[in-house]
Amino acid sequence: MASKARARNTSAPSGNMIRDSALGLVPETLDHYMALNRAIWESGPLKPAEIEVARLRNARTVNCVFCKSVRYDIAKADGLSEDRVAMIDDGFRSSSLSIREKLIIAFTDQFLHDPNGLSEELKAELLASFTSAELVHLSMLVAHFSGFSRCAVSLGGMPDSLPVIEISLPQ
Amino acid sequence: MCNSWVSSGSDRDATMRALPEIATRFEQLYQSLWTQPHIPASTLELCRLRLAQLHRCDVEWQRRDHAVPAPKRDALQHWPDDEQFSAAERACLAFTEVYAMDTQSITDQLADAVKAHHGDAGLVMLVEALGILDGMTRLSLLWQLPVPSAMRSPIGD
Repeated sequence: MASKARARNTSAPSGNMIRDSALGLVPETLDHYMALNRAIWESGPLKPAEIEVARLRNARTVNCVFCKSVRYDIAKADGLSEDRVAMIDDGFRSSSLSIREKLIIAFTDQFLHDPNGLSEELKAELLASFTSAELVHLSMLVAHFSGFSRCAVSLGGMPDSLPVIEISLPQ
Repeated sequence: MCNSWVSSGSDRDATMRALPEIATRFEQLYQSLWTQPHIPASTLELCRLRLAQLHRCDVEWQRRDHAVPAPKRDALQHWPDDEQFSAAERACLAFTEVYAMDTQSITDQLADAVKAHHGDAGLVMLVEALGILDGMTRLSLLWQLPVPSAMRSPIGD
């Protein structure tokens, strides 16, 4: 992984971690990006703990060190403990995660690894467990988090590891 | 026309309509890609179309977000050897191809080539746009959106 940042925001720090990042170099899109991020967390039918399962599965697969280290406080308050976070690994199918959580991971994996290869079996399982609005929400949040984590990886400058850090939704 | 399996929508906009707030915010972000000053919209459209080719996504290949001359569009899969593509476009297309295959494999040289033409802000804009464009291409496939009947040109690759 590139340890040297490939783009730097040299503006005076504002205290907002996203605005102070390299994304702050493109103000024309930044406010829209942050508004979409808030809508993803606050305006869809999936619960914060379910959203966090998808976000962390994506972070793990894309290997975004920053994304892997972050925990959103609203997901923790919704019941996503570190014990459950540890289950979002290769053995998730035999874990005690709920059926919905396992399907969220399966959908995320399908998006990341083979979006053109969705099986009829997985499609039927998803339709049996989620409403149409929930599936659209899951789709949009996985796409959003995938783009964000790939952006962070592409811009470099991340260490090999970071401690877990709890954050609130950036405003 | 068939619908996506996730909703009653037959295209991206109709599918996202199930979540009006998120759809509105997404559309505002998506439209801002084509008006920002850091990377020409024509270059972003080439990158979007290249992603469609690499993912073999007919729906995104037929979409038009910004005008690209037909001969250039038809030559896209041969961009390294086709003189229709400028040095700045080539830098962005080279970056896009590695981004699509393995984001971890992006090198400083690929990033420096983009920055040589578009600066640090241009590099940030490109990776931000690629995240959105790649994500929507993957969703078009995953949602199994139907291909519009009027095929404009074969996808290539």
